[in-house]
Amino acid sequence: MKFSRLYLALVFFILYMPIFYLIYYSFNSGGTMHHFESFTLDWYKEVFDDTRLLIIVLHTMIIALLSSSLATIIGVFGAIAIYYAKHRWKQTLLTLNNILIVSPDVIIGASFLILFTIAGIQLGFTSVLLSHIAFSIPIVVLMVLPKLQEMSPTFIDAARDLGANEWNVFTKVVLPYITPGIFAGFFMALTYSLDDFAVTFFVTGNGFSTLSVEIYSLARQGISLSVNALSTLLFLFTLSLVVVYYVMTQRASVKGGQK
Amino acid sequence: MDDRVIIRFDHVTKQYDHDLPVLDDVSFEIERGKFYTLLGPSGCGKTTILRLIAGFIEPTKGDIYFHEKRINNVPANKRQVNTVFQDYALFPHLNVFENVAFGLRIKKMPKADIERKVKEALRFVNLEGYEQRAIHEMSGGQRQRVAIARAIVNEPDVLLLDEPLSALDLKLRTEMQYELRELQRRLGITFIFVTHDQEEALAMSDEIFVLNKGKIEQRGTPKDIYDEPVNRFVADFIGESNIISGTMIDDFVVEFANQQFTCVDHGFAKNERVDIVIRPEDLELTTIEHGKLHVRVDSVLFRGVHYELCCYDAYGNEWLVHSTKKAEIGDEIGLHFEPEAIHVMKQSGGE
Repeated sequence: MKFSRLYLALVFFILYMPIFYLIYYSFNSGGTMHHFESFTLDWYKEVFDDTRLLIIVLHTMIIALLSSSLATIIGVFGAIAIYYAKHRWKQTLLTLNNILIVSPDVIIGASFLILFTIAGIQLGFTSVLLSHIAFSIPIVVLMVLPKLQEMSPTFIDAARDLGANEWNVFTKVVLPYITPGIFAGFFMALTYSLDDFAVTFFVTGNGFSTLSVEIYSLARQGISLSVNALSTLLFLFTLSLVVVYYVMTQRASVKGGQK
Repeated sequence: MDDRVIIRFDHVTKQYDHDLPVLDDVSFEIERGKFYTLLGPSGCGKTTILRLIAGFIEPTKGDIYFHEKRINNVPANKRQVNTVFQDYALFPHLNVFENVAFGLRIKKMPKADIERKVKEALRFVNLEGYEQRAIHEMSGGQRQRVAIARAIVNEPDVLLLDEPLSALDLKLRTEMQYELRELQRRLGITFIFVTHDQEEALAMSDEIFVLNKGKIEQRGTPKDIYDEPVNRFVADFIGESNIISGTMIDDFVVEFANQQFTCVDHGFAKNERVDIVIRPEDLELTTIEHGKLHVRVDSVLFRGVHYELCCYDAYGNEWLVHSTKKAEIGDEIGLHFEPEAIHVMKQSGGE
C-alpha cells in the first residue's frame, strides 16, 4: 500500500519534473537553463513585447475556438447519425471514427498536406482550420455518443406523446440531455487544437503559425528563455481549461447523479 | 356506429419483418369514460396495442379509428391521447413543474394558463408544493404521480398506462390502484391500463381484455372473466383454479374424476370433451360421507386469511382448496361444492 503510493508519487514526479524545470528557469535572469542567477520576469516581458508572438497567440486562439466550435456542431450531428444508424452500420461508423483518433498525427498531417495540395487550397489559416476541425470531430463524437446511448428511448416517445415534433424533441429533450457530453467534447477539441503540433506543422504555410509550431522553431534556435516563459503560459492556460472542465463535469454529475 | 365509441380497431395486425405477428387480426371498440385493462403474459401484444393507439408504431394490416376517423398514419404528436410510461420517462433536466408543463409549452399556451393548469394537475395527484423539486429528489411513488400529472394536464380523451405500477412495492401498488381508479372516475376520461397482474386487473377495471399470443382470448367485466372464463388459458391466467378435463354427458350433467355431477351448463354436444374449472374458494372441506369428492391432503400452507390445501383424488387429479378450516397432511377428507361452482369450458388446443 505504502509502496504503491510511493511509486505513484515517483511516476508523477518524473512526468511533471521537466515541465517544472522549464517553468523554474523561465524566471532565471541568467539567460541559461543550468545556472539560476536571480528571479526575473524579463522573459515574460519579452514575450508580451513581441507583437509577432502575440499575433501568433491570437491566431492559435482563433483556430482553437473556431475549429472546436465547428467540430462540436458537426460532431454532435455525427453522433446523432450514428445513434440512429442501423445496428450493422453503427459498429462500422464507430470503428471508422475511432481509427481517426488513434492513427498517428504525422500520418494525418501528411495526408492532409497531400489533400490540400491536390485540392489547390493554399496553406495557411484555412488549411490549418480545416485540418483542426477534421481531427476534432471524432473526439466530439466519442464524447457525445455515450450520452445519447445512455438516454432512455422512452424520453423521445414521451416527448412525442406530449405533442413535440421532431425539432421539439431535438431541442427540448435530446439536446439538453447530451449537453454535458457536448461540453466535454468541446473542451477536449479545444485542448487538442491548442497543443497540436504535428498536423499543424505539415499543413501550415505562408507565414501563418500557431504557438506550438512557433515554440518548436524557437526551441530549435535554442537561445532565449522567452520560450520557457511562453511555454509556461501555455501550460497554465491548458491547466485552467482542465480545471474548468473538471468543475463543470463535477457539477453535472452531482445534478444528474441520482436517477 | 355508436357515438360512445372512441377508439376502434378493425382487423389490426402488427408484424415485424417476417416474425410471427405480435398482434394478429384484432378487432375491438373502446368506449368513452371507461377503465379498460389489457391483461396478458409478456409478449402477448398488450403493449403493442398501446403503442399503436399512442402512434409510436403503425399497423401492418387493418385500420385504427379515433372518433371514427382513420388514424393509421397520424403521428403520435398529433393524437389526443397521452401515455404514462412504465419507467415514467420524466425528463431529468427539468423540474416537476416544467415536466408537467412540457406539453402545454409545446402548444404555446399563455404563461398564466400554464401556471394555473400545472398547479391544478399537481393538486389532482396530491403533489402541491413540489413544483420546484428536481426529478431525482422524488420517490418512486411521487415520480409516478408526476408522470400522471404530465399526461392529464393535456386533457387527453384517452389516457394510456403502460404497466405504471410494476416498479412500485406491494403496499404502494395497492394504494395507487385505488388512486388510479378514483382518478379515472373524477376525470371521466377513458383509461387503458396494461398489466400482467391479474389482481390489479380485477380490482380496477370496468372491462378486461385477456390477451394471449397476439389475440384477444376474452373480453368482459372482471366478474365475467373470473366466473366464466372461456377457456383453459383465461381460467389459468386470471387466478388460481382447478382445471381438469371431463366429458359433457348431457345438458346439465358432466363427468369428471370418474363421477357424474349435476351442473348449470348446457349447449354442448353429447359426450363432448370439455375443460372443467372449479375455483379453490368454492371447494368446502367436509367429511368423506358428505363430500362429493374423496381426496387426500398432500400439503397445507397458511396464507393469512385462509389455508391453502393441496389435495389429490384417487385418479391423480390435483385439487387446490382455500379454506378457513385446517386439515393435517395425510388426512382423508371429503370436498363439497355446489352445482354452480362447476364451470364448463370448450376445450382449446395448447396450454
